[in-house]
Amino acid sequence: MATQDIQSNERLVEKLAQKTAEVHVLKHIALNINSTLDLDQIYDLVLGTMDEFFGFRHSIILLLEDSDTLRVVASHGHENQPLGGTVPVGTGVIGTVAKRRRLMRVNNLRPQRAYFSTIRRQMEEAGRASELGKIVPVPGLPDAESQIAIPLMIKDRLIGVFSVESREQRTFSDDDEALATIVANLAASAIQNARLYRLVEERRSELAEAHDHLKQLNETLEDRVSARTRELEQTNRELRETQVQLVQSGKMASLGMLAAGIAHEINTPIGAIHSNADVERRAIGVIRDVLQDPAFPEKLRDQPRLKHTFKIFDDINRVTLEATERVIKVIQSLKSFARLDEPELELVNLHEGLDSTLTLINHLTKDRIEVVRNYGELPKVQCYASQINQVFVNLLTNAAQAIKETGTITITTHQDGACAVIEVADTGGGIKPEHLDRIFDPGFTTKGVSVGLGLGLSITYRIIENHRGSIDVRSELGKGTILTVRLPMAPPRSYLAEDQTVTVPLG
Amino acid sequence: MGAVELPDQIKPVMQNGIPAIVVTCSADGIPNTTIISQVYYVDKTHIALSFQFFNKTIRNVRENPQACVALNDLEGNAKWILDVQYDHSETEGPIFDEMDMQIEAIASATGMSGIFRLRAADIYRVRSFKKVSFSPASLQGVTHGDTGYTKQRASG
Repeated sequence: MATQDIQSNERLVEKLAQKTAEVHVLKHIALNINSTLDLDQIYDLVLGTMDEFFGFRHSIILLLEDSDTLRVVASHGHENQPLGGTVPVGTGVIGTVAKRRRLMRVNNLRPQRAYFSTIRRQMEEAGRASELGKIVPVPGLPDAESQIAIPLMIKDRLIGVFSVESREQRTFSDDDEALATIVANLAASAIQNARLYRLVEERRSELAEAHDHLKQLNETLEDRVSARTRELEQTNRELRETQVQLVQSGKMASLGMLAAGIAHEINTPIGAIHSNADVERRAIGVIRDVLQDPAFPEKLRDQPRLKHTFKIFDDINRVTLEATERVIKVIQSLKSFARLDEPELELVNLHEGLDSTLTLINHLTKDRIEVVRNYGELPKVQCYASQINQVFVNLLTNAAQAIKETGTITITTHQDGACAVIEVADTGGGIKPEHLDRIFDPGFTTKGVSVGLGLGLSITYRIIENHRGSIDVRSELGKGTILTVRLPMAPPRSYLAEDQTVTVPLG
Repeated sequence: MGAVELPDQIKPVMQNGIPAIVVTCSADGIPNTTIISQVYYVDKTHIALSFQFFNKTIRNVRENPQACVALNDLEGNAKWILDVQYDHSETEGPIFDEMDMQIEAIASATGMSGIFRLRAADIYRVRSFKKVSFSPASLQGVTHGDTGYTKQRASG
């Protein structure tokens, strides 16, 4: 009896030692499995430890890929079993465990399979093969005798199956089942944590990528909005310039018509006055000749009052002639400037246009500004004469107004290749450097509210641009400004086509 | 006499995968022998047989609840003879689920899902059992428990 007690105690001690060892191993797994978020490390730890400490030589972990399929993600002790194999949910031990979400321990797999296979063969031999389904290969040992398959659950949700197999019957005891269940539960949590972490990392990466993409789009959007804004601003500026030019063209047309009317009305009486003055001059000459006749009393001929009167006549007559000539010239300039009867593109002598303009702005230059006409050889230029005259008025008026007291305006012309070059230089105060970029903007002026609207150079720029020419400005404060206009001798063909729609001719 | 209890060493015999022999008898005394793939251990006093096909065995035990189950114990070089009595059938619950699950697991992998389908888990109470050794010296086994047949014969 005492011997039996001792043996019983020894078994209990042995059992206790075994349980203690198992607890240590489980503790080891629990501690290490939670120290990593790497799935491969988790698989290695679970399967390796099960083999090393519990003798589970053949184990496998499958994860639910979708609601119908499990995929092998880790395998231990299986030769020629590549990862990635699949098991349909509901097929075989593993698939049935996944379907029912219940642990299954089978200790006599091979004879059961053999029994089923025998029945199958008998049915095939009996001609009942059509009643049979397909044999589905499942991962694991093909000659396994024992198997424990445990569903990997997170709360009520299946994430996979953990399976251990043996080639021996009844390998797995209740204790093995309990151990495997604990390890499976630990593995399920660790796998889920790692997958969630990986998912979070992927989402974070995707979010970062999306953020970068969005940022890039925003940057592009800003660029596009900026570009569009610039385009709109440019369009707006062009519209404004066009509007200004239309208004100015209208004004010029009215002025031209007015000037032509005035010229016509004045031309006849001035012609009469000029003609009469000439007749008068010749009549006085006749009287003077008559007085020289010896028959005429010398006493009367030498009368001082008579001589004084003749002198007055001569002076008045000369002034009258000069004045009427001046008026006639102005009228001619007005008619030339307005060009009411010549609204089409034509060959124009630019020097004539410059001269006419100088005549018209004579009141601005008279007695204080010397005008130097440094004209070179310049063929006629194909252009809208009235518009080019408007350019000359603006340039010469600006030059005259830039000279506060006395100074010089030098007009230089020459041909440069296919272009006519007209340079207007003044000795005025010059333009500040910060204003140089803006002088062609509509509304920009330094002359003050009552002097100008700031449209002259803007219109000038637009007219020259329409003629496919260019205008350049150089200026030095205190020394003066040079504006250089380059006009093509013959505008390009495209311009000729366009000008029907974009150019508003005077008149 | 107290209820007979199955020893633990019969569990691996039930799980060894060797088909067992079940003998039943109709109400009019015609015996029937059949082979089944597995006998399930329910508890110390009960076993379960799978009811998959409506065959003579099922018909017999519904008429006459007495049955005899012979288990082959190759490791023990013996045969276990169980004298059992049909008690009831279960179509749900843990015993049914476990049996159904095993059948489904094997049948689904062998393309036999349409053939093997558990209709019910038939629960039998163990009236007596005996382990009969294959060795010539001990062909006569020791009977444990009370067999109805014996009583009937003794009283008859």
